[in-house]
Parts: sequence; C-alpha cells; structure tokens
Amino acid sequence: MIIDVHAHAGPWFFATDVGAAELNLTLMDRYGIDLQIVSASEAVTYDMVSGNRWMAEVLAVHPRLLGYVVLNPNDLAAGARELEKYLPTGRFVGVKIHTTYPGQTLLSKAIQDTMALAADAGLPVLVHTWDESVLGLVDVLDRYPDLRVIAGHMGGPAWRTAVEAATRTDRLYLEPCCSITDAGRYRYALDRVPLAQMLFGTDSTLVDPAIALGVVADAHLSAHETEHVMWRNAARLFGIRTEVAA
Amino acid sequence: MVTLPPTPAERHEIGIDVDVLFGAVPNRRLDASLDAVVMQQESHGIRRGLLCSLRGPLFDVCSGNDETHKAAEQQPRFVPVGSVDIRDALGAEDEIGRLAESGVRILRLFPPEQWVEPGSPGLAAVIDTAVGHDLVLLTSGDFSQFWRPFADRGARVCFLDVHAYRVADFVVTARREPGFVASTRMLVGPDSIERIAGEVGAHHLAYGSRTPLHDVMPSALRLRMAGLTKQEWTQVAGGTAAAWLGEEL
Repeated sequence: MIIDVHAHAGPWFFATDVGAAELNLTLMDRYGIDLQIVSASEAVTYDMVSGNRWMAEVLAVHPRLLGYVVLNPNDLAAGARELEKYLPTGRFVGVKIHTTYPGQTLLSKAIQDTMALAADAGLPVLVHTWDESVLGLVDVLDRYPDLRVIAGHMGGPAWRTAVEAATRTDRLYLEPCCSITDAGRYRYALDRVPLAQMLFGTDSTLVDPAIALGVVADAHLSAHETEHVMWRNAARLFGIRTEVAA
Repeated sequence: MVTLPPTPAERHEIGIDVDVLFGAVPNRRLDASLDAVVMQQESHGIRRGLLCSLRGPLFDVCSGNDETHKAAEQQPRFVPVGSVDIRDALGAEDEIGRLAESGVRILRLFPPEQWVEPGSPGLAAVIDTAVGHDLVLLTSGDFSQFWRPFADRGARVCFLDVHAYRVADFVVTARREPGFVASTRMLVGPDSIERIAGEVGAHHLAYGSRTPLHDVMPSALRLRMAGLTKQEWTQVAGGTAAAWLGEEL
C-alpha cells in the first residue's frame, strides 16, 4: 500500500498539461499509489478561496484523493473560515501552507499563527521548506504542543538541516519529493530520524511520481521501513482508516 | 523494498548515460570512486557512460583529464570527457587543443561549479575554441541563463540541468538551434520529456543521471516509463549520444 502525502491537483503555469484531476488517478494507477493527499494548485499559487472550493468539488467525486485545505498566511481570518467550511466534509485531512506565493518566510509570525490555527483544528500541516530555516521549526513545534508539521521536500537543498531538525522533535515529519535528487539523501534521513517520522510524497502532478519512487528505491528500504514509510506512518498521522490497522 | 512498476523488457537497458562523474566530492561524504560509479551504472541497467573526473573542474585540469583518460582505458564502458577551467580561459585554449589531439570528442563545462556567469568572456572564448575543434559540449547551469553563450554559433551542446520548469524556454530555443540537446535528469514533470520530443524531436534529448552525485533510479525509472515511441526511446536512451561519437545504434 502507498499513501502519497504531498500531491497537487489542477493546472500550473509551466509548459505542462497536468490540470485534470483524472491525471492524478492515472499516475496513481501507473505507480501503485492507493491514496493521495492533494492541494489545489490554484489555492497554493493564486486564490485560496476559489482553489479550495474547486478542490472540494474534486474530492467529492474521487474517493482515492484526500485534501489539504490551503491556508494563505496573509489572511488568518479567511483561513479560519476555510477550515470551518471544509472540515465538516470529512474529505480534508490536513493544512497546506506555502511560503513562496504568499511571500512569507517559513518562520514569519503569519505562518506561525497559521500553523497554530491548524493545530487548534487538530490537523497536520504540510509546509514548503527549502532552506536552512527548516531548523527553526523545532522552536515553533516547541511553542505549540498540538502542532504536527511535515517538512515538504525535506528542506530541499537543506536536507541535512531538515534531518537535524527532525531528530530534535518527534512532531516534525519528512517527505522526500524534490527534483534535486542528491544521492543517498533519503537513506541519510532514515539512518538518523525515527522511522515513525518518515513519510512518502511525490509532488504529483507537478512532478512525475517516478522521481520520488526512484529516490525511495535507491534508499534500499527494508520491508519494515517500507511498510511504515509508504503508508503506516501517514495513516496514523492523518487518521486515515485502511483495511489494515495503522 | 519498494515495488516499482513493471517496464517493457526492451527498456531495461539504457544505452548511454551522458552525465557520469567520478573522483572526490568535498561537499559530501560520498563514495564517488570509479568502482562505485561502475557498480551504480551496472545495477541500474546502464550500459555505457560519458565519464568525467571531478578533479579537472574542481582542482587541476591537466591531471584531471589524464585521470579520466586512464579511467576510460580501465573501464571501456566509459567514453572519456574532457574538462577545462573557465576561470583560466588562456589555459583552456591549450588544454582543449591537447584534448582534441588525443582524440577526445566531448568537453564538459562546469560554469556554476566554477562560479562563472553566463556573460563571462572566458566562457565565450572556451565555447568558441571547443566549437572550432568540432567538440561536442556538455554543460551544467540553468538553461534559461546559460543558453545564450552557446547560441548562434553552430554548437552541439547538451544542457545537463534543464528543469521541467524550463521546457518552454528549451523548446523555443531548440527550434532554431539544431545542436541543442536537453538531458532528461531534471525533466521531472509527467509530460516534460514527451513534450520536448513532440515539439522538436527526440534527437534533442539524451539520458543523463549524474551518477554518483544523484540517485540514479529517479531518472532511469522516469525514462523507462516515458510515453515515447520505440524509436524515440532508443534515440533518447543512447542514440543522441551515439551520434556525437560517430556511432550507429
């Protein structure tokens, strides 16, 4: 079984035709991914409200997709309304926060307040991490005892720092999707971070799942590691019911 | 072990990898020895590679190129790729001549690794000298920045860092640059490779892994799963590089 904790649905502004949610399913079938937790590209890059609305419509007809409510840290009150609107649907299981498009740094007050909002709602947060500031998430997690954070892209080029951060708190999780596939990056993390904090994510449909699957394949996971990384940890973190208890 | 999707038998072997390095990696604790590189290539089903020692671009050009030459003699699976230091364009003129005389047909440039900007006069001079010796060029660097010094001079050049986000920039440039080729390594989108093949042809693509600095399976699996015809796939998986070497598939 595979649960992909970092995926998107909808179009992007690059020369790529990935806008149809059906493509998520096609790629999931191609690579054996059972469930995927997605955020709307529109909500991430442009308009949180209309993007989340479209996402909810997609989730209503695609049971293998679960959703992140995207929160724009520049408008906390609107974010709170988004959570009130979509949590009752039962189809959204986490919160997604980006840094680039809202123009906020990872450790800004706006992003910390938004993370706190997610924690109050009992939802894990997937946040875009791409530099050394990922280490600061340790202090943020210390400040909010109910907060659980997934460092998207494992810090990107700062993956060694992300690993260091994840060894300092048991509520920081790592997922490997990244187009920069530095050799041995995932094995480095597996050898240092508690297994329960390691997840699998692809960045599909922006990125083909072959990339993240290839990264995990080259990390030569044991059967035990595979089971936890590829689905058990995600099922437990997001409260996803599976046929086998997580 | 993670279960990977089945791939067609005719795609199990990748013919030529255009992006293979070996040597020392000062910013990583990584086994980049020639033996380790051979093992990586073999275990991922890659038959041959265009090999360059890191010693040349990172420390000393002449001994680095000699090391590459020796490695390719020891391991015939590899074709030696020369390198120069763009920061010393004067020395590069002599070294390119020496490489060409010794039969080297491919020169790899490392502009970002050598802190060289796209507008560097030294870079332009090195490219001119290499093109004058009819060498094929491989280069790292963001395509949208580094395409310009290679354009309008009939260069045959493979850009090793073309990202999926740069597909449109590559296509509009390749339309008027018949010698421009994109390595597949960072063409990570679900349709990046297919889009370039469809727009300008598979002869503008070549498989590259960046062994041993990058995991090999991501690029290998993506290529094996690519939505290409048999002819297109063979072209990308080795045909483009074979043409540089004057070989037939």
